[in-house]
Amino acid sequence: MIELFTFKINKWLVAYYAALLVWLGTTAMHIPDGYLSPLTSLVMFLLVLPFWMIGVRKIRETMNARSVPLIALLAAFSFVIMMFNIPLPGGTSGHAIGATLAAIVLGPEVAVIAVSIALIIQAFFFGDGGILAIGANCFNMAVVVPYVGYAVYQAFSKGTPINSPRRLTGAALGGWLGVSTGAFLAGIEFGIQPLLFKAADGSPLYAPFPLSVSVPAMLIPHMLVASVVEGLLTALVVAYLQRSNSNILEGAAIPAQALRLRGLWVALAVLIVASPFGLLAPGTAWGEWSTGQLSAMGLQAIPTGMRQLSGLWGAPLSGYNLPVLGNTNLGYVISAVTGIVIVGLVVWLFTLLLTVRPGAQNQEHQR
Amino acid sequence: MEHIIHNETNNKAAPNRVPSPPVIQPVFEVKQVSFAYDGKQLALENIDMVVQAGECLAILGANGCGKSTLLKLLDGLYFPISGSVTAFGQPLTEAALRNDEANFAFRRRVGLVFQDTDVQLFSPSVLDEVAFAPLQLGIPREEVTRRVESALEMLRIEKLRDRAPHRLSGGEKRRVALASVLTLNPDVWLLDEPTTGLDPRSQSWLVEFILQQRQVGKTVITATHDLVIAEQVATKIVVFNEDHRIEAAGQPQEILKNHDLLHRCNLSHYHNEVNAVHVDPVLAK
Amino acid sequence: MDKSINPGHSHRSSHVLEHTLHGISETLERALFAEEISAKPGLFQSLDARVKILTVLAFLLAVSFSKNLEIIAAIYLLALALALASSIPAGFFVKRVWLALPFFTGLIILPALFVTPGPVLLQVLPGLAITRTGAISSLFLLLRVSTSISLSLLLILTTPWNTVLSGLTVLRVPDVFILILGMTYRYIYLLLHTANDMFLSRKSRVVGWLDAGEDRRMLAAISGTLLAKSINMSSEVYLSMQSRGFRGSVVTLKPFKMQPRDWAWLAVFIGLAILAVVLGR
Repeated sequence: MIELFTFKINKWLVAYYAALLVWLGTTAMHIPDGYLSPLTSLVMFLLVLPFWMIGVRKIRETMNARSVPLIALLAAFSFVIMMFNIPLPGGTSGHAIGATLAAIVLGPEVAVIAVSIALIIQAFFFGDGGILAIGANCFNMAVVVPYVGYAVYQAFSKGTPINSPRRLTGAALGGWLGVSTGAFLAGIEFGIQPLLFKAADGSPLYAPFPLSVSVPAMLIPHMLVASVVEGLLTALVVAYLQRSNSNILEGAAIPAQALRLRGLWVALAVLIVASPFGLLAPGTAWGEWSTGQLSAMGLQAIPTGMRQLSGLWGAPLSGYNLPVLGNTNLGYVISAVTGIVIVGLVVWLFTLLLTVRPGAQNQEHQR
Repeated sequence: MEHIIHNETNNKAAPNRVPSPPVIQPVFEVKQVSFAYDGKQLALENIDMVVQAGECLAILGANGCGKSTLLKLLDGLYFPISGSVTAFGQPLTEAALRNDEANFAFRRRVGLVFQDTDVQLFSPSVLDEVAFAPLQLGIPREEVTRRVESALEMLRIEKLRDRAPHRLSGGEKRRVALASVLTLNPDVWLLDEPTTGLDPRSQSWLVEFILQQRQVGKTVITATHDLVIAEQVATKIVVFNEDHRIEAAGQPQEILKNHDLLHRCNLSHYHNEVNAVHVDPVLAK
Repeated sequence: MDKSINPGHSHRSSHVLEHTLHGISETLERALFAEEISAKPGLFQSLDARVKILTVLAFLLAVSFSKNLEIIAAIYLLALALALASSIPAGFFVKRVWLALPFFTGLIILPALFVTPGPVLLQVLPGLAITRTGAISSLFLLLRVSTSISLSLLLILTTPWNTVLSGLTVLRVPDVFILILGMTYRYIYLLLHTANDMFLSRKSRVVGWLDAGEDRRMLAAISGTLLAKSINMSSEVYLSMQSRGFRGSVVTLKPFKMQPRDWAWLAVFIGLAILAVVLGR
């Protein structure tokens, strides 16, 4: 029956996906309850927890009681910003998260708390995004976006005056890369569901699409729309603040980005370690899956059109369904690790390339 | 209240000790105080002022003259860059308020109602807001509940108890703001532009409230540009000019008659209102 | 100035404005609606917030763990029954979930019907067949998502949000965090109204055609102003908290006491949730 998926339907599916991608890209990546297994939700909570702790510690150290209303108002700001519909060149429009902006103003540690609170309120009081999925949503949007966005912004703005146009470039690229990375991780979270959690008859219990579909489906539209919106809004607001309220930008101009970057690396390391944990923990689901050998079949049965579509992303990761490996489990680990390493490398290269440049002419601004 | 009783006993005790004059401690003594935001622009310059217990002082001045800043200095939220503020005979400094006990003792005696009710009302519901101050200041829970009930009743806002602040009208917000300080039962009220956003009926109600507090011996300091309310409640007036200094101080009658002074301090166009609005003699008494 | 506006003349830029304005007013209306329902008499309204939070969480977990479609369907029906017992209009409760669902989860799940490998259930077109596993998997996702949303709706609609906040203490959420959540919620409204006013005043001043670039600059200016307002406001709010004795730690009134009735319902609900988890294995 695998032969049923002939070339004829591929065009149809490709067209469908093209439309779906554009539409998906305009929505925020709030994962509702039901898409992720309870185990994944738990792992995501565990991943966010240290960042919440770092954020709270940072708040205690630097701002004390004063930070209570500050965080509240910035979380409220973040919530309101998520409602703004921002037009893109070309006629589409989308919503920003505002997490990069929060990181630029507050520093990433505190931005984690502000954006998390906005997301928690959305989940608990407005029903946007799942309650059990709060861990995943906070990780993708409130942890990854601020840290990645801030790292890029810092790389660009280090040593530059407040009104430097390089800060705008940094803000735009930071927002873009931050949301793209978050979307990529959301794609991975979706994609590991059918690998890990299946009913006895092989039906996926949660999000049904494999990594080869879910990652490009999340990543590509976000790279084209939502990430662009985030980058655009961040840069525009930074430009506005440069003109009218530059003291707000000075607040986070305090250095110590070494520590902040380390936070990012810790996050990636934790993710790499946690991925196999997510694989090995569910005893029963795991057994059912391997006896049925359905997953391996499933991965091969993806229509060629889908594979072509996912080729953009799938090419470097095609290892996971190489028959040579023979073990989809191992293949998954390799592909997940590869993906994370690639994102890590991109971020690292970005910062490396950009931190070399700030020259002597700007040093006077560092006081 | 406690403080006023204390002063009265001092008064009675004093005549027995013949050589020393009666010690009536002023509530606030402000000496040569200057203040600047971010160390740049002066918001107050060389302010000298004494507020006695039971006084009802109106600080008159145009917008931006520094009267709000002065109230924040009196409430120990800002501290002068030069000069000194003394409250109840004790220096009011950052160091003094760092001590929890001293802080709580001071905050229980002085209550500030902010001009912007959105700043004053930060809690999710009216009940939480009104209970916030006494709870923070370590008053036992049963006592807090009792005070909350009587404050809600006194300001006739029992029905608003579970409402969220953003569901309230301007007048209701002002009542809740007053209730949130009333539960402290402070000796000294600091009111910043209390008539902002109030309709005429709420304004006369507010005047009534201030007179009531005056009657039970509270000290009330009102910062306002509204000459009507100043005339109705004040026992003493201090006028700020636009250079952030005190231009004049004295009895309400003489100050409010001095058109030159009011004009100089950019308050004159409010003066017409005094003549236009008929002041209820009962309330103004 | 106002006369120069042509209301019939709609263009792309005002579409963006309208979209945002619509989103803002919808959020405000939703909250108002929830407030109205939570003030009505009903089963869930009469229970302690902590009971409701624990119940909803337990059922969310049961839905999440279940490998059995019937169990999830049963929990959905239970949520529906509880909604009916709590003065929530059934039509609203069902429509709110099932009308919105096809646009998000429905669109996403649709290809899974066909591409999930498994035995053919229904040959739609030559070369396009719904597989059994695809159908089951889609049902799982749809039911799980709709039931989870219904459960959170049940909580949101029957509980004033400030009592949800105080109820969160049962999850060991620290008091300072609850204070921040409450203040955030309170100031969301202030900022929403401010943003709304800024958009409206902007709208009233727009005379001719605005290109997307101008739209973006306007949004950036509004966002920047809001950000500055948020930061300035936070320092004023801090003064106001300080003035009333706030030193970093929070004391709360904790007016709620669990009644025997609350305990009884909690036991019933948690029991049902556990049963669902066991049966759904």
